[in-house]
Amino acid sequence: MAEIGLNDLADLLGYQFFQFALIGGILVAITCSWIGLFLILKKQSMITDGIAHSVFGGIALGLFLGINVLWTSLATALASMTGITYLRKKGMAQSDSAIAVMMALGFSTGLILISLAGGFNVDVFSYLFGSILTISKGEIYSVATVAILAIAYLWTFHRELLSLTFDEEDSRLLGLPVTLLSVSFNILVAVAIVISIKVVGIILVTAFMVLPGLTAIQFNLSFKGTAVTSILIGLVGVISGIFLSALFDVAASGVIVFVMVGIFVTSAIYNKLG
Amino acid sequence: MKGKVDLEGCDEKCDGHQLTSDARHSGKVIEVEGLTVVRSGQTVIQNASFVVHAGDYIGMVGPNGGGKTTILKAVLGVIPFVSGRVRLFGHDLRHFKDWGRIAYLSQNAIAFDEQFPLSVRELVSLGRLTRKRMGRPLGREDRKTVEGTLKYMGISDLAKKRIGQLSGGQKQRVVLAKALVRDPSILILDEPVSGVDSQTQERFYKLLSDLNLERKMTILMVSHDLAAVFCRMSHMICVNRLVRTSPITDHFDPNPILKETYGEHFQFAYHQHQCKGEFKDG
Repeated sequence: MAEIGLNDLADLLGYQFFQFALIGGILVAITCSWIGLFLILKKQSMITDGIAHSVFGGIALGLFLGINVLWTSLATALASMTGITYLRKKGMAQSDSAIAVMMALGFSTGLILISLAGGFNVDVFSYLFGSILTISKGEIYSVATVAILAIAYLWTFHRELLSLTFDEEDSRLLGLPVTLLSVSFNILVAVAIVISIKVVGIILVTAFMVLPGLTAIQFNLSFKGTAVTSILIGLVGVISGIFLSALFDVAASGVIVFVMVGIFVTSAIYNKLG
Repeated sequence: MKGKVDLEGCDEKCDGHQLTSDARHSGKVIEVEGLTVVRSGQTVIQNASFVVHAGDYIGMVGPNGGGKTTILKAVLGVIPFVSGRVRLFGHDLRHFKDWGRIAYLSQNAIAFDEQFPLSVRELVSLGRLTRKRMGRPLGREDRKTVEGTLKYMGISDLAKKRIGQLSGGQKQRVVLAKALVRDPSILILDEPVSGVDSQTQERFYKLLSDLNLERKMTILMVSHDLAAVFCRMSHMICVNRLVRTSPITDHFDPNPILKETYGEHFQFAYHQHQCKGEFKDG
C-alpha cells in the first residue's frame, strides 16, 4: 500500500466530489447522531432498521416509475412510520412486531418491483450500502436542505423533546402539545433515515444513528454533554470514514460504521476499567 | 401541626359535603361533581363529588385498585370520564389552560431509567417548560427560580449529578423540586413515599407540611400510610369506587368511614397523642 501524506489529504479537499461528500456527511452525521440519542432514550432504536428496510420498496418504486427516488423514499419512510405507529396504537402488533411487519412489506415490494423490471440500470447496491463519494450536486442540495431544516428543528425544540422523552405524562401536564411533538419527531426520524441512506446505505443506517448516542451515554454526562459528545462521535466517524475511504478506496459506509464501533468498544473498555 | 380547618357544615362522616377550609384560603381549587369513570367496561369511580379548597392538605386513601390513581388522572384530564364535571380553579376542565398552577407527581415519578443522561439541574429545569414559550431557551428569571428551588429542597450540591446516581430520598427531593419549580398553587402526589426508608419518608412528610403551612400550598396526596394522613393532614378522601370525604379533627374516629371504604373487617387504631413522637414537626 502506498504511503499517504498530508499532501494527499489536502489534494482530496480540492476535489468537488470530495467537498460534497464531506459537507453532506457532516450535516447528516449531526442530524442522525442527535436524533439517534433520542431514539435510544425512547427505547426505539430498531424503528430505524424497520423504516430503512421498507424504504427499499420506495427506492425500487422510484426507479420503476422513473421518479426522483428521494421523494418516493420520503413517502415510503413516512408511510412506514405511520404504519408502525398505527399498529402499535391499535394494539394490532407489539412494538417490535409492528416494525417487522412494515419492514417485510417494504422490502418484499422492492424485490418484486426489481424483478418485474428485470433489474435496474442504477446500481441497487449503492442504496443498500451507501455511496457518499458519488453524491451529485443535485443530491447534495436536497440532502443539505433537509438536514439543515432537521437541525434547526432539533435546536429549537430539543428541550421539549427531552421532556417528552423523559416523561410523556408529565409533559402533557406541563401543557406541552405532546401529540404534535411526537408526530413532528416521527417525521424527523423518517426524514433522517432517508438522507442517511445516501451516506451509509439501508443495511447500516441503524448502526450509524445509534452508535454515537450509545457511546456518549457511557460517559455519565449531563444531557447537554451527552448530546454534544454523540454529535462529535458521529462527526469523527463520518469525517475519518470519508477520508479513509477516498484514500484507500474502500467502502465509506463500512469505514464510518467500523470507526464508530471502534470508538464504542474503546470507550466501553475505558469506562469498565475506569 | 397539621393545617387547621374550619369544620362548619360537616357532620361526622361528611359524606357528599364540601370540604371546608381556612377562611384565608377559601378559593376552590378542584371541584368534582358526579364523576363516573368506566375503564374496560368496569365502573372504577361512581358518582364522585368533592371539593378541594386553597390551603387544604388532603390525604386520599383507599384499598389497592379502588380507583385513587384513576380519579386523580380523570381530574387532570389524562383519562376520560363518562359523566360528571370537573372544574379547576373555577374553569371547566375542557377549557382549562393554566397547567402551570398544578404540579403532579405520579406513582412512578422516581422509577425513572437510571441510565438516562440527565443532571439534577436539567431535570428540575424541565419543570419550567410551558406551551407558551416553546422553542425558547430558559431566561435569567427561570434559571434563578431553578437555583432557588434546588436550594430550598437542599439539593444544590447535587445539581451536577446524574439522576441515576441518586439515592431514593434524593430522587424524591429532585422530582418534588421539578414539580415545585413552576411555582404551582396545588401539588398532587400519588404515593410519593413508596420504596424509601421510614426516615426518608418522615423527612418528606415534614417538607410537605412546611409547603402547606409556610407557602400555603394546597396538597392532595394519595397515601397508604394512614397514620401519616391522620397525624398531618386536614382532610381525607376515601376512594373505593365510591368517594367519601371527611375533615380530620383531634377527636375524630376514622373507623366508620374506613370500614365503609376498606370493608367491615377493617380496624385502625389511632390516637392523636401518637402523632407527637415520630410525627412531631420541627
